[in-house]
Amino acid sequence: MTTPVLALKDVSKSFGMTKALSGMSITLFPGEVHAIVGENGAGKSTMIKIMTGVHQPTTGSLEVDGKPLSLSGTQAARVAGIAAIYQEPMVFPDLDVAENIFISATDLGLVQNRVRLRTRARALIDRIGMSLDVDRIAAGLTLAEQQAVEIARALSQDVRVLIMDEPTASLSAHEAGELRRVARKLASQGVAVVYISHRLEEIFEVADRVTVIRDGMHISTRPVGEVTPDSLIADMVGREVGNYFKKAPSHATPEVILKVTDLACEDIFRGVSFDLHKGEVLCMAGLIGARRTDVALSLFGIRPATAGTVSYKGTQVRYTSPAQAIAAGIAYVSEDRRKLGLAMPMPIRSNITLATLASILSPAGIIDRRREREIAEAYRKRLNIRTPNVDLAVGMLSGGNQQKVMLAKWLELKPDLLIFDEPTRGIDVGAKAEVHDLIRAFVAQGGSAIVISSDLPEVLAMGDRILVMREGRQMGIIDHKDATQESVMRLALGQFEGAA
Amino acid sequence: MNALKAGLVKLQSWEGFLLVVLIFIILMNASLTDNFLSVGNQMNLFMLSIEKIIVALVMTFVIINAEIDLSVGSMMGLSACAFGWMFQQGVDPVLAIGICLLIGLVGGFINGWFVARVGLPSLVVTLATLIGYRGLARVLVEDRGIGDFPQWFNDLGQKGLIGPVPFGLIAFVILFIGLYVVLQRSGFGRKTYVIGTNREVADFAGIDTGRVKIVIFVMSGLVSAFAGLLFAARVGAVRGDVANGFELDIITMVLLGGVSIFGGTGTLVGTLLAILIVLNLRNGMALLNITGHIQTGVVGLLLIASVLVPRIKLPTVKAKEVT
Repeated sequence: MTTPVLALKDVSKSFGMTKALSGMSITLFPGEVHAIVGENGAGKSTMIKIMTGVHQPTTGSLEVDGKPLSLSGTQAARVAGIAAIYQEPMVFPDLDVAENIFISATDLGLVQNRVRLRTRARALIDRIGMSLDVDRIAAGLTLAEQQAVEIARALSQDVRVLIMDEPTASLSAHEAGELRRVARKLASQGVAVVYISHRLEEIFEVADRVTVIRDGMHISTRPVGEVTPDSLIADMVGREVGNYFKKAPSHATPEVILKVTDLACEDIFRGVSFDLHKGEVLCMAGLIGARRTDVALSLFGIRPATAGTVSYKGTQVRYTSPAQAIAAGIAYVSEDRRKLGLAMPMPIRSNITLATLASILSPAGIIDRRREREIAEAYRKRLNIRTPNVDLAVGMLSGGNQQKVMLAKWLELKPDLLIFDEPTRGIDVGAKAEVHDLIRAFVAQGGSAIVISSDLPEVLAMGDRILVMREGRQMGIIDHKDATQESVMRLALGQFEGAA
Repeated sequence: MNALKAGLVKLQSWEGFLLVVLIFIILMNASLTDNFLSVGNQMNLFMLSIEKIIVALVMTFVIINAEIDLSVGSMMGLSACAFGWMFQQGVDPVLAIGICLLIGLVGGFINGWFVARVGLPSLVVTLATLIGYRGLARVLVEDRGIGDFPQWFNDLGQKGLIGPVPFGLIAFVILFIGLYVVLQRSGFGRKTYVIGTNREVADFAGIDTGRVKIVIFVMSGLVSAFAGLLFAARVGAVRGDVANGFELDIITMVLLGGVSIFGGTGTLVGTLLAILIVLNLRNGMALLNITGHIQTGVVGLLLIASVLVPRIKLPTVKAKEVT
């Protein structure tokens, strides 16, 4: 290990007001597998995008072979020998393996020499060390085989840095093992492999060094022999818990409002069981792909569960449309404001009254505009929605204020059970605290809340109890008294006490 | 200066722009010909296209809902031909009218059901029924004309009902007022806009989006059948190709009125202004002896302008944005 093949030097990246990376430095040496771990939103994707030329750093620089280089785009990154493969491989289903590997090759001439193409494809597949017939049509390949095709495609362009972004997230244990062997094999041939994964156990199997990043910053880089799962988790979560995130006293009462037993939906999730008490906040924690939103959607009637039972206010229910859930007093605040939450070009007032439209209609079905305005103005004051008037298109507001409009829509329903899906994602700290207060006020008045959040401090601050999911399975429920960032993260990563 | 700016902002609304264009066209026409502003000419102008402009009102609902109904022309033809055929078979004309309206209702429901419940794109569904309904119309009447309807029926299409004002125009005004209230003031209208803007948001808010869509297609079929009958009464005869191709003129008027083809935006007032512009423009050009083909070309240019002009942003728009 002499000259690093790729280095980020003090790289920062901002998107408007949001800082995705700040002062990030990382060096990659030829022949190493370098694992990168961090929570959702820690800045991993932004870093990959800077390495592959999709984004340009706001400040700081990249060095390739020790020389400064600015990557003006993905093409420049490819020329520099940097390639990435993702969880979902990109293959053309109607072409065969060889054609897929050389899909963007330019040196093959107008009329491809099929024999030469196949010989070269076979050589690349051999280099990866997988047995794969180059004449097979891509449509029939397994995910792991498709990833092999992507890797071979990268190799065909003399890749020197290969970034693997959660390559094993949707693979079976056997396939994942095979892919890890490929990563090792490439490293032995001098490629620098960046390996991003939420599965801690495989990092210990595949990586030479591990870098932890958190909140867009570099936390640590150590040889894998010097770390333990516990030390990694501590690095991933170890941020100061500010005053915003002090746990408020619980309002939970003994009365059970929702009882979920062994809920499952096809092969998306299964084995979800919990009680929700009146006045309680139940947080659902987990990493991307934990399938928490799918559980919420099944409770809300969007995609009904296929097994298990839900008992709401003492009666067994199975909602097959949101209208039924809404009529029963269940509201779901979506994580995706733009797609599922708000009609962006429409006025704030119309969005606020959308779920309760019937209550402002005259017997003839005409909208009582004065009543609508009163309702909207009341929420504007109560939730401190910063806008000159309620006739403005909601899309013109900032993210935090949009979030408040969406909350207003569901609060106006006066629900008994509110499911918040990532209620504070992408909004600033001030708005975040306001949303937290609002959830607390809601349960203080006898409502019950399920809060899905990937933000650990938020989970600890809000949850009376914390349900942790991982890849469609319920891993456990932790009482807030026993919950720490480490204990939640350990469950979310599938690490049990003493397991590693 | 500020007043000027405020004025410019107001003109930014498409309806404002259409109003200016309309006034300009009327003034031009009035200065070029003597009898342009006479009640007779203005009413005549409406009556020549009364069937299309009636259907344009419901087409506004369809397009704001982010759908399209290409079958309206065929439904007009089917309704007119069914009336003619039944009249020939000796069915009581009043009963025949009722059956024709029922045909429109069912035809619209078929469109709506396939779109809302099966989930097929309305472009495909209504293209299929455009062919199907037209086919039925031709089967019923073939290529001969059927006429000699009762005098009272023809009078409905041709004579003044209240004073000089014919039934068709009265129906248009009543329909406009009714649909205006529904679209711009009622809960159903609100749902129409929300679904057109983002159907998933409406679904998640517990709105039965499929039902709204079916109702709108039923409205479209029913009003088209009514317009077909009106055509039969006004012309006094029907043929298999009645109202052939009307759907394109109708959709043009609605789009010109500022209704976005992607759904969610536009108003019934915009459609009304666009109708008035197209009618006055064609009438003015006719009075100047400009041929029909050139008239059509001018309407086409206007449609392109209607897509382009809202994209030209004045700097004043920035002031409206608040973070």
